[in-house]
Amino acid sequence: MKEKDVRKCYILPVGPQHPMYVEAENLMVHVDGETIVNVDVNIGYMHRGIEELMQRRNYIQNIYLAERICGICSGIHTVTYCQCIENLIGLEIPERAKYIRTIILELERLHSHFLFFGVMAYEMGLDTVFMYTWKDREAVLDILEMISGNRVNYGMSAVGGVRRDVPENRIPEMIKKLDYLEKRGQYYAKVFYSDKLIRKRSVGLGLLPKKLVDKYSIVGPVARASGVKTDVRKDIPYLVYDKIDWNVIVREEGDVLARIMVKIYEVFESIKILKACLKALPGLEKTLKVKAPFVIETNEAVSVTEAPRGELFYYAVSNGTDKPERLRIRTPSFVNIANSLGILLKGQQLADLPIIVASIDPCFSCCDRVTLIDVKSGERKTVDEAYLKRLEERK
Amino acid sequence: MIESLVRVLVYPGVGFIVFFSFLYSGIFRKISARMQHRIGPPIWQPFFDILKLLGKEDIKPEQAKIGYTFWPFVAMISIITAGLLTPIAGVVPLGNSDIVVLIYFLVFGSLCLYLSGFSSSNPFAVIGSVRGIIQMIGYEFPFVVSVAVAALASGRLLLFPAAVNMYQISNGWLCLSFPFAAAAFFVSVLAKVEIPPFHIPEAHQEIVSGYYTEYTGKKLAMILIAHMVKLFVLIALGIALFFGGSLDILTFIAKGLVLVFVVSFFRVILARFRIDHALKFCWVFGFVGMIDLFRVLLGF
Repeated sequence: MKEKDVRKCYILPVGPQHPMYVEAENLMVHVDGETIVNVDVNIGYMHRGIEELMQRRNYIQNIYLAERICGICSGIHTVTYCQCIENLIGLEIPERAKYIRTIILELERLHSHFLFFGVMAYEMGLDTVFMYTWKDREAVLDILEMISGNRVNYGMSAVGGVRRDVPENRIPEMIKKLDYLEKRGQYYAKVFYSDKLIRKRSVGLGLLPKKLVDKYSIVGPVARASGVKTDVRKDIPYLVYDKIDWNVIVREEGDVLARIMVKIYEVFESIKILKACLKALPGLEKTLKVKAPFVIETNEAVSVTEAPRGELFYYAVSNGTDKPERLRIRTPSFVNIANSLGILLKGQQLADLPIIVASIDPCFSCCDRVTLIDVKSGERKTVDEAYLKRLEERK
Repeated sequence: MIESLVRVLVYPGVGFIVFFSFLYSGIFRKISARMQHRIGPPIWQPFFDILKLLGKEDIKPEQAKIGYTFWPFVAMISIITAGLLTPIAGVVPLGNSDIVVLIYFLVFGSLCLYLSGFSSSNPFAVIGSVRGIIQMIGYEFPFVVSVAVAALASGRLLLFPAAVNMYQISNGWLCLSFPFAAAAFFVSVLAKVEIPPFHIPEAHQEIVSGYYTEYTGKKLAMILIAHMVKLFVLIALGIALFFGGSLDILTFIAKGLVLVFVVSFFRVILARFRIDHALKFCWVFGFVGMIDLFRVLLGF
């Protein structure tokens, strides 16, 4: 499309404050009637400078910071951080801690997926399923509360292991709740797959072809829904994922419905993993944690895990003190939002915009990077290393 | 004189219509909340809402056009007037009425609501209004067809709704003898009051509140009153034309509550149409209603 034609379009600001999403983010949508011609994705409203903050705190304090990167994926961030630091030290954590971490991560995946089903239904204007799924999600939060005492930020991981044990006398209760969730999952699979109105709003929409997945490095369930078999839990197994029998869910269609169905069937896989972990737990040694040194020698390490939304990557450099020299976090939402939204939305109807945006399960709090905008001229630039160094010198 | 004034202003006129449309809307919200496993607001909530809105500050956006102030008012008046032309428990508050005039008032009311969206100059409101008007093209067809079936079935060429009401009482429910027209009527009612699956002009997730995004205070109260009265009027019209008619107030309220229940059931189980799907769906039902129209005209 030529520059002149784009200017003729009606520009609809979606965000930073918009009922479509909970967090603040801006899409400038160029519409021609109801058809989307072009989309400008402007991220950066939720930037909190966590990477910089992490370099000023010691390794223990950073666990709490990592937990607060995202409200939904709080468990996976702490586990990945702790794994990264353990890799720096070269520490092997006890078997029981590995199982407990797996339990927390899979429960988190469950609650994140149930939340996603609710959001999808809500975006389609089907409030009832939204209410139902969020009610069922309470069961997951109950299990998390039984284990950790918390519903959102569990505070379970520590460098060298976990902080609390799973109460073994309550395992039957947890299994019962998992059975309930499995039943509900089957119900939602039926609802999403067979409801005619839902199918009308999701089949063939927001198509992401298989060949574009690699080109734009899309990760997680979005990539799996486009027929790419990628899951860090199988590719580079961590914790106990290689000891348990489970499958990677892949669908070929690459549309919105495929993304929903991938997550619904992942719920069943998660429940399978959870049941196996809970069964294995009573037979394990009671050690929860090994002692980790406070000061870490100069070294560098990475840690890769599969968050509910895709591959999560931590890179840490230590410098012989109790603070990290550098910590780099690459979150799945960042890749998916920045790379895929433009392709998915072009040529679609405006009415489908919220559904397509929600179908990649965006989570802005972990994806924002610094962008400076000159308010007067509207000029925007990204912060580079030289600029940060200059800032530091001035200080 | 006083008798007719009471009939227009109190019972079964403006006072009754507004009171019961608030009540129906409260019950509607409560029922759908219970179906969704929510507690829901008390059934008096619409009364509180409107009272609160009436006391709010009146804000007019700088870029709003002149119609911003009076379209909501005109919409409310015209929909209440439509209510005065509808048989309520066998009585038409304004004496007698013509179905065509009634349809015109309902259309004009909806049109004013969409014009209020255009005049507020908000991008979301403009898109909401455009969608509303497109949707109107869809739902007016089945609505007119089904109303025509009911009117012609009673054998009166003058098309009095009150006469259809009386006809049903002596000859049985029209929705049983003309099921296709009744279905078309029901679909067009869902579309007219903009409840799922037809809440396209005010699709919260896409365009905030649609055409009334920019409104607050008294003007929003008027728009909401227009909305609630529209639901009430269409339910009253449905009773008079298809669902057996009513001569006393108790049957009228009972049938109304059953219809509110059915409408809220559909609200709960359906997702939102996209505007093109909605248009197609409405027209399909329009043609389905035509089957009954031919049956009436050809007399079999």
